[in-house]
Amino acid sequence: MKARRVLIPAAGGIALGALLLPGTALADTTVSPSTTPVGGTVVLTATGCNPKSGDAIFRVTGPDRDQNVRSTTAAAGGGLSAELFTAGFTLGTYTVSATCGDGTADGSATFTVTPIGGAEAGGRDDDGAGTLATGATLLATALGGAVILARRRRHAVTAATH
Amino acid sequence: MRAYQVIRFLIAALAVAGLALVGTGLTRLPARPPQPDGATAPHRTVPAPHLSPLPRAAPVEVRIPAVGISAPLISVAADAAGALEVPPLDRPGVAGWYRPGVSPGETGNAVLVGHVDSPGGPAVFFHLGRLRPGDTIEIVRTDARMVRFAVHDVEAYPKDRFPTDLVYGPGDAAGLRLITCGGRFDRGTGEYVDNVIVFATRAA
Repeated sequence: MKARRVLIPAAGGIALGALLLPGTALADTTVSPSTTPVGGTVVLTATGCNPKSGDAIFRVTGPDRDQNVRSTTAAAGGGLSAELFTAGFTLGTYTVSATCGDGTADGSATFTVTPIGGAEAGGRDDDGAGTLATGATLLATALGGAVILARRRRHAVTAATH
Repeated sequence: MRAYQVIRFLIAALAVAGLALVGTGLTRLPARPPQPDGATAPHRTVPAPHLSPLPRAAPVEVRIPAVGISAPLISVAADAAGALEVPPLDRPGVAGWYRPGVSPGETGNAVLVGHVDSPGGPAVFFHLGRLRPGDTIEIVRTDARMVRFAVHDVEAYPKDRFPTDLVYGPGDAAGLRLITCGGRFDRGTGEYVDNVIVFATRAA
């Protein structure tokens, strides 16, 4: 019983401390969408940063990149955000770490830059239909010629017998 | 009389040529690649068994016993336009591993791509559409490990609605995605209109 009396205030103190320390319990960074074709735009958001403390800095690291992006707007749901245009990015997964204006870290998130669209994985160059059509045309021409020839011959024979 | 014989000869020659071309055309008409049954079914997710993720190692071979596939793998990435590279058409029996992504056995979705056909006929992934849930895919890696995956979905998607997130997106377990072409062949563009995608999860 005595132990419980000690533990409850201690737990409450820890929870209160976490609430009072911005960038720890509330720290969170998001990237939306988490997957984008190369050239697409992702929105980086540091939800735990207070806009009054100044701009947040997003550090973007990945396959061949290490760049900082400064927040440009206050996020609708709270915090600060920036847009990142991925043109020229190497394909792969990138990590975004945010630091608030007051210097506190605001967690990290990842996003993936992918190829554009589907795969062109069909390789046939002639489906035979063209060859088939040409052959059918030649056959039809031959048939037409044969019919005309037969008619002419019949006329010639008829004329000769009369 | 001589003119009549010449015309008759020409007609016979036309008929022979026509018959030959029709015969050739019929033999060159390629078989349509098999299409997945669940082409319009929504994508399903399945719980993955608890397996420790493997370290990165390039895959060198893919085997799919159910449809008789056993093919070497080469690395691919994206072309200058940002589209997924495919293996060269003069090697239709080879499949590609998407190198910027994870390797088979790592946490996340590893991606393989292969041609469905080539000017010479069916190619490495021609029979992908015949795979069914439960079929096994084996991947041999450079570290001599063999990773086994179980198919849980085979679906066709129009190329202009390619499910980027389902294919390349993150995952909590080791997954595998196999991509090829399928659907109707558009003579105007010289391409199939769909991509057939096999979704698999690591089983061993």
